[in-house]
Amino acid sequence: MGRLLHGVAAVLLWTVAMLDGALASHKRVLLLESFGRDFAPFNRFESDFREELSLQFEGTVEYFEVPLATARLWQGTGESAFSKYLQSLFAEHPADLIVAIGGPAARFLEQHRQQLFASTPALLTAVDQKRVDGTNLSANDAVVANTIDLGAAIDNILKTLPETDNIAVVIGDSPNERFWVDEARRVFQRFANKVRLTWLNDLPFDEIRQRVATLPPHSAIFFGLFSVDAAGIAHEGFGAIREIHAAANAPLFSWVDAYLGMGIVGGPLLPTREIARQAASTAIRILDGEKPENIQSPAIGFAPPVYDGRELQRWNIKEDKLPLGSQIRFRPITVWQQYWWQLLLIWAVVLVQGALITVLLLERRRRHLAESESRHRLIEVAHLNRTATAGAMSASVAHELNQPLGAILNNTETAELLLGADNVDISQIREILEDIRRDDQRATEIIKGFRALLKRQAGVETKELDLNDSVNDVIRIVEPEAKARDIIVTREGEQRRLLVRANSVHVQQVILNLVLNAMEAMSTGTSANRQICIRTELVAKGNIKLSVMDNGPGIPSDQLKRVFDLFHSTKSQGVGLGLSIARAILNLYGGRIWAENNPAGGAAFFFTLPLLMAHAT
Amino acid sequence: MSSTAPTIHVIDDDASFRTGISRLLKASGYQVAVYESAHEFLKNSTRDGPGCILLDVRMQGLSGPELQAHLARTGNELPIVFLTGHADILTTVQAVKAGAEDFLTKPVSKRILLPSIERALARRDELQKKNAVLDNLRALTGSLTPREREVFALVVRGKRNKQIAYELGTSERTIKAHRHAVMEKLQVRSVAEAAAIAERLGLLSESGNSSR
Repeated sequence: MGRLLHGVAAVLLWTVAMLDGALASHKRVLLLESFGRDFAPFNRFESDFREELSLQFEGTVEYFEVPLATARLWQGTGESAFSKYLQSLFAEHPADLIVAIGGPAARFLEQHRQQLFASTPALLTAVDQKRVDGTNLSANDAVVANTIDLGAAIDNILKTLPETDNIAVVIGDSPNERFWVDEARRVFQRFANKVRLTWLNDLPFDEIRQRVATLPPHSAIFFGLFSVDAAGIAHEGFGAIREIHAAANAPLFSWVDAYLGMGIVGGPLLPTREIARQAASTAIRILDGEKPENIQSPAIGFAPPVYDGRELQRWNIKEDKLPLGSQIRFRPITVWQQYWWQLLLIWAVVLVQGALITVLLLERRRRHLAESESRHRLIEVAHLNRTATAGAMSASVAHELNQPLGAILNNTETAELLLGADNVDISQIREILEDIRRDDQRATEIIKGFRALLKRQAGVETKELDLNDSVNDVIRIVEPEAKARDIIVTREGEQRRLLVRANSVHVQQVILNLVLNAMEAMSTGTSANRQICIRTELVAKGNIKLSVMDNGPGIPSDQLKRVFDLFHSTKSQGVGLGLSIARAILNLYGGRIWAENNPAGGAAFFFTLPLLMAHAT
Repeated sequence: MSSTAPTIHVIDDDASFRTGISRLLKASGYQVAVYESAHEFLKNSTRDGPGCILLDVRMQGLSGPELQAHLARTGNELPIVFLTGHADILTTVQAVKAGAEDFLTKPVSKRILLPSIERALARRDELQKKNAVLDNLRALTGSLTPREREVFALVVRGKRNKQIAYELGTSERTIKAHRHAVMEKLQVRSVAEAAAIAERLGLLSESGNSSR
């Protein structure tokens, strides 16, 4: 029991200690804002300040935010009423610290310091040194000021863009801003001989926006504070600078780094975070009980120049134009930096693909060459084949040719005899001469047919040709041979034009080889009625079929497929070239060749060639 | 047409050649008969007069050499001159061996053709004369009676009447009468003359064989 009481007492004691500690570190801070919570650039400062305070201060801070609404439009009037309002607001529970943010707030606090919580310590910050009077400040007040060097800002513009000859100055029209307009006019005087200055402060915002959109070449825009425009309209947040940036046709400059990333090019700028940090640490020292008057903070000037990489790129400002030690933020990431490995991969794939395509193209070319080579070989072989055919047929051609030659000679000699007689029979001589002429033509035809066989084809060009013409040519060529072998060659089937695209000599050669083959086959048999029938017909799928049928002994069924093989011959004297050449030629033109035996006896050879549809009928 | 002019039989399947050569031959004074095939020749020709055959080698149906063989079997006496568009050695040799008068190639000039035809005709003439004599002798022997022919066959072999009578089983006197009739009919005066007739007609060996 005693032990339990002991424990409870210990817990109670610990809790009291904790509460005491907590109470000791709980501070109430009154933030006196110049325009409102969200007016740039003070909004950025305020959030930085709170952040720094919470980082550096061990206890908890309770904030009271009071915007100095009067600063927006007017100065002086109503301020004492506002001061009284504040006094009564914090009469019961005075704040531990008053922080005045920005020039207007600082000035208000200075003027009303005696009435406003004289015993509460105050910190004036985010205010230019020039705006702090100091005469009304007590020992209870500390200042963390900054220095705005307007001249340095203009120097920066002229250094980064040396061709600039016009600077449009965009500053608002609130009392505080009017101060800065006056200040700027004063400072910028020394640039009057270098640049023209265009003051837009007495214009409503919409007009300013239009003006910055239509600036002459070599212009720059200097953007100062912009809380309230000439029409009395307040501009909260970063809206004003964003819109100016969106509309502007010239580079935008300013003096506070809070605007960096909103569209300003950059340069030496007031370091918001640094001021906030300084202010926060001063605030903590005051909260910790240090005497404010003992805390001396030097005014914070421009930080080393900082630039927005995107704007540098946009306005084509080379990095070597920037002052030494400049920092570049928002550097645009190049596609390569962002996607280097993907790009590398794509590049590799393209490279491999390219190599593959090249290899395939080379392969294709090689194949093409090989094909053309084999085509030429085929022509050579086909020509040799024809020459051989011509040799074999020369006997029958000679025989056939000697018929008209013999008749001519006999007729001539007869005419000589008749002319030697006493009574010349003119009518008979005329008859004789007519016969001589006819026989001469006949001899010429025979020679033509034979020469067609020996003609060497120059190229491989194909043309439209009528298969029936080829058949008729072949019949004319083989006529002497057929006669010699006592074979009748007949013609059957389609009489219409059967157009195919091929080389005429090649097609003729195929038919010729088939017919000669049939003739050769029949020479072994003793059939009295030797016949070869050549038939042409249209078959399905737009093909033309040509058949060469004989009534010879036929082909042994086990050799039907092999007859087209190279050097396969059923003949004792054949070398087995004719049919394989025929097959090679047909392959070239997308045709097909095969052999069968006729049911009625004899062999039949067939081939197909694609019909040219455009002229099918 | 004069029956004495020899007839040239032209067998060729080429119409214009037939026309040409028949013109030449007619102009040269021959009678010409043309046939477009061997069959037509066999069917339509009269072959007993003087003449010769101008024969093509390659023809539809029966070829030249085939016709030659056929004619040889059937007792043709017309000399054959081959005339071909293309002569190969084998065909030439075979045709000549089989009795061809000549083997010419087209085109043939009349300087070659006509002498060749003349030679053929001369040979035909000679043959015909020879045949005429034999025909006459055959006619004489044909007038003999069977008994007289038997006697004749034995007489020309030098048999005496007595032997003949013995062989034929008759009297010597009867044989004498037969012998006299034979000599009379054959218009010969001596046995030697009769034996010459028998020789020319080829009866000697024939009779000899049959007598054994």
